Amino acid sequence: MYSFLRIIRFALQDIARNIGLSFMTIFVLVLMLLSVNTLLFIRLVTTEATTSIRDQIDVSIYLSLEATADEIDEVYTYIASLPEVTQATFFSQEEVLDNFRTLYHDNENILASLEELTENPLGATIVVKTKDPADYVTVIEELSIPEYETIVESKTFTDTQGAIQKIDVITTNVERFSFALTAFFAIIAFLIIFNTIRVAIYTQRIEISIKKLVGATNWFVRGPYVIESVVFSVFSVGIAISMVYISTGFLDQYLGVILGDPQFLTNYYFLHILSLAGIQFGIVFFLTLISSLLAMRRYLRT
Amino acid sequence: MIHLTSVSKQYTADSVGLADVDLSIEAGEFVSIVGQSGTGKTTLIKLLIAEEKPTSGQIEIGGWDISRIRQSDVPLLRRQIGVIFQDFKLLPKKTVRENVAFALQVAGEPHKRIKDIVPRVLEIVGLGPKMERYPHQLSGGEQQRVVIARSLVHRPKIIVADEPTGNLDSINTQEIMEILKKINEFGTTIVLVTHNRDIVNQLRKRVVVLQDGKIISDERHGKYHLSATAV
Repeated sequence: MYSFLRIIRFALQDIARNIGLSFMTIFVLVLMLLSVNTLLFIRLVTTEATTSIRDQIDVSIYLSLEATADEIDEVYTYIASLPEVTQATFFSQEEVLDNFRTLYHDNENILASLEELTENPLGATIVVKTKDPADYVTVIEELSIPEYETIVESKTFTDTQGAIQKIDVITTNVERFSFALTAFFAIIAFLIIFNTIRVAIYTQRIEISIKKLVGATNWFVRGPYVIESVVFSVFSVGIAISMVYISTGFLDQYLGVILGDPQFLTNYYFLHILSLAGIQFGIVFFLTLISSLLAMRRYLRT
Repeated sequence: MIHLTSVSKQYTADSVGLADVDLSIEAGEFVSIVGQSGTGKTTLIKLLIAEEKPTSGQIEIGGWDISRIRQSDVPLLRRQIGVIFQDFKLLPKKTVRENVAFALQVAGEPHKRIKDIVPRVLEIVGLGPKMERYPHQLSGGEQQRVVIARSLVHRPKIIVADEPTGNLDSINTQEIMEILKKINEFGTTIVLVTHNRDIVNQLRKRVVVLQDGKIISDERHGKYHLSATAV
């Protein structure tokens, strides 16, 4: 117990009496964490943006004016039962007409043309959303059977197929790029931390040998460095998370326009702050601890 | 107290630290080890504090065979031997008081005992008023007195001093030697490695001369000379 309390005291003394080195170590750790958080931002925003675009993609199935209620019901039930389909919304002829009028409310020519017609020219429509944009092809294929030829007037998928494929390519590439960037940052982070700690230990190598000469055990020498790793991790994660949280408010002003949520990043950080801080603390502590133990090993041999 | 039996230390094929050395130092003795540079004096010190292990032979300290000492037992050995170096080896970021206290803290001594004993030891070496200063704020002689206080504080049976006056002027040298003599008078065994002819001659204590890793002279009340006169 005496030893443990002394180790804590020695660690705090070391931090205070090597304040320049302590500040430099925390500064480097904060920079590294800001880089990691920036990467997290990029992943978050790109994922949200692609999800948002995917959500906006759907297939409209226009039904024939001659289709009977039973036939429409059969098609709707069939589409809704497909495993790829997450949502199938039915719009009656009247609803389609209302939507059309709303859409073109400021186009007098189109509205006047409608008035000329005695009957509703628009058929009922089923709007379908699937789990993945690639599933739209399956849905279309499922409907391209002879039984439904007279019921289904047309499908809009062919118009959006190119866009869907592009989104798929972009999403896949973004994910690959993010993964590569994450791996790259992880290596850089480890090298930065390892070298920072190694420099810190190198400057104290003579002290380490003196402690050993006076009769300190290896753990009595290592102990303060373990505690220092905890302190450095707490401070660097605290500073980095605070800076990131403050910057989310600023970035949300611009991202809100794209993502449709004016507090997207702020809300995300607020909801996940404990897990984000915990994971980052764990990683920084683990890296600083391993780095200091490895760097110290050679000075503990005598 | 200290017994070396046929101790050799060979670093490489043509680099010999010690060659078949037999040496016995009894409790309470004050022994000066002299010799030219590279004759094995520092090797002897390193073997005594288990900084190195002998290539062959046996080293016994207080009945404890340290020739093949386990790494985990080295701290225990070092807590029983006071070591004084020419370059002081003080912790620069700790005050005088903290440097001396450190020797007790590593041994797990209670805080109260450390608080009692450290100022007393610092008073003995004349550093009571300067106990809150850092090493760089002291003169060379004062720093060496801190080292002596640190080596004394856990009441070791043996003090090993490797050129303790090497970096000091003549006045400080005399002060340090007076302190070491006092410590010896209280019964502590002192092994002094030195180049300083004057202090060895003034001591009129046992002198062991090393040459090429071998003992060429061992006199009960000897003087400093580097040629064999008695073994």
